[in-house]
Amino acid sequence: MSPGSAMVAEIPWLWAGLSAYMIATLVSMWGVSPRYAGMPIIQHKTHEYIVLGCLALGVLLLATAIGARWVRIGHGPWISLFELLMSQLCSLGLIFTLLYWRLPGFRPSAVIVLPIMWVLGSWVLTLEPTASHFPATYYNIWKWSHVGLGKLFLALLLAGVGLAGVMILRTTRLGQSWFRSMPSDQVVDRLAWRFMMLALVFDSLMLIAGAVWAQDAWGRYWAWDSLETSAFLTWLFLAIGLHVRLTYKVPHWVSGVIIIGIFCMAFATYFGAPYISPAAHKGMV
Amino acid sequence: MFKVLRRLASLKITLVGMVLLITGSVLIYGNPADVPMWVVVIPLSFLAINLVAAIITNKRINHQPGLLVFHVCLLGLVIVAGFGRLTHLDAHAEIPIGTEFSADRLLEVRSGVWHSGDLDRVAFIQGPFTVQYAAGLQRGLTHSHVMVKNSTGQWIEKVIGDDRVLVIEDYRFYTTHNKGFSTFLSWTPDGGQPVTGVVNMPSYPLFDYKQDNHWTPPGTQLDIKFWLQINAGLTQDQAWTLDARNSSAVLVVTNNDVRRELRVGDRIPLPGGELQFDKLTMWMGYRIFYDPTIQWMFFIAVAGVLGLGFHFWQKINLQPWMEDEPEEPLSEILPEPIRPSITQQPITQPKKDQTMPISTSSQDLAATSKGRS
Repeated sequence: MSPGSAMVAEIPWLWAGLSAYMIATLVSMWGVSPRYAGMPIIQHKTHEYIVLGCLALGVLLLATAIGARWVRIGHGPWISLFELLMSQLCSLGLIFTLLYWRLPGFRPSAVIVLPIMWVLGSWVLTLEPTASHFPATYYNIWKWSHVGLGKLFLALLLAGVGLAGVMILRTTRLGQSWFRSMPSDQVVDRLAWRFMMLALVFDSLMLIAGAVWAQDAWGRYWAWDSLETSAFLTWLFLAIGLHVRLTYKVPHWVSGVIIIGIFCMAFATYFGAPYISPAAHKGMV
Repeated sequence: MFKVLRRLASLKITLVGMVLLITGSVLIYGNPADVPMWVVVIPLSFLAINLVAAIITNKRINHQPGLLVFHVCLLGLVIVAGFGRLTHLDAHAEIPIGTEFSADRLLEVRSGVWHSGDLDRVAFIQGPFTVQYAAGLQRGLTHSHVMVKNSTGQWIEKVIGDDRVLVIEDYRFYTTHNKGFSTFLSWTPDGGQPVTGVVNMPSYPLFDYKQDNHWTPPGTQLDIKFWLQINAGLTQDQAWTLDARNSSAVLVVTNNDVRRELRVGDRIPLPGGELQFDKLTMWMGYRIFYDPTIQWMFFIAVAGVLGLGFHFWQKINLQPWMEDEPEEPLSEILPEPIRPSITQQPITQPKKDQTMPISTSSQDLAATSKGRS
């Protein structure tokens, strides 16, 4: 965001939400830090409750930012990169918060997941919050299921990436020290691939919902446009990854590399392919 | 035979097929119009053969209902999509207001070799339409009124546009961004009966700067050039609605050295006859899509994902999400040699009012661990 840009309604909430995420990131990093391992706050896992609270607060503040923008421009966060990043920060944060809450053994992976969220957070701060035009084809109700399923898919991949990072970093002494409170690599690996399995289900559903929307809106269910091809490649990467993992005995760090590779493809699909052109599906809105 | 199938079912072949499909998809990326579809059809066929063999021979697939349903549906999807491409039709049509759709006026027709739909049975009349624009000429909603025949043969009005599709005889008609002005013209040859024609001008407002076209009246060698000067109330900086009923135009007619400006109702004598500008209206560009398999594809795809979900659900339910409880953090001063043995034995969570003692020697720590386990 340039210094001269107008202070629009959503900006203070966006900054507040990202600040909450930043505190969560720093506290989670402090929590795995070996230097403080003996402190009572760590023994009692107080720091994890602080992280959980900050994440939940961040989600609420970002949801408020989205709501404020919605009221200001008259439509939801569907169109511009600014809107999509803000929306992803909220949905990824929400699903990660739920996983963080329900799976205590998974919590230290926050030190990998939250900095990735902060890549998105830093990115959104560089963009102008200009109002976007809502295309006629976006009134379609399938948009909700397509986008919602896509968010679930990406959040599950992100959770898997956190665990993949743990498996890779544990090949170093420092990594072993950071993630000493997590279950064995075998358990982490199994959990990571469970997230991948669920991601495949939601990815498939997202593609189906997208095809129905495309048929209604543009008169074709599949046209190999850049975004569709990229989404299909992500699905293929995920299918290959699952076949390799379920069939061959791969070392845990290789398993982690495969998951990160799939995530990179998905990341490029979400935040790269649509913005080669200014519209989500080039020339189609 | 079974041995051959088992070899064809190899997972290595699956992975090779998937890598080929990735290669094909990368080749087609961003350029589907210029790359032959074979780059994805060949790997898909290869994978389909591999999948058939795997469904028959691989017990991991055919003994697990969810996985079996998923893989059968995947195969079904490839077959149905292939059949869809062989029977499909994709075309465009520009239909002026007040005229009936005619299969003879299709443009850019692409159809499968087995296409057998009866487009001649499709009947509807184009009525007036409006297209809303936000400031900055950003296209909004389209409302296109059409008259269609109901089951009793009576004409009824429908409003379609954007994602509200007109479906007749399984042909799906979609309004597009492509629309423009039409001029209805009459040509009366010297001593003959008048004939009427329609000249569609280029898409508007996309090509508002070059609203020209030409026409050769039937039975003549004339090449009459037209240029339409439109007043549709177009504004760049305000919301605006495109509507033929709120538009007017001057038709500039050029033939050799003759140049005349005509308003609706005006006529001009030309060599061999007389031309009259009867009416100004608009045409709507439709995309026409026919594929009898799309509903089947939807149901097969959903069934496949449900099968996959069921399989994963069973698999996930076999073991808890995190069977190892996370250990309590240990001090970094813990001596290296005993660290592995400690990670094997989780330490019980201390009560809230207690602080776990952190040992400073390996013996103390081992004793603490033993005492708590």
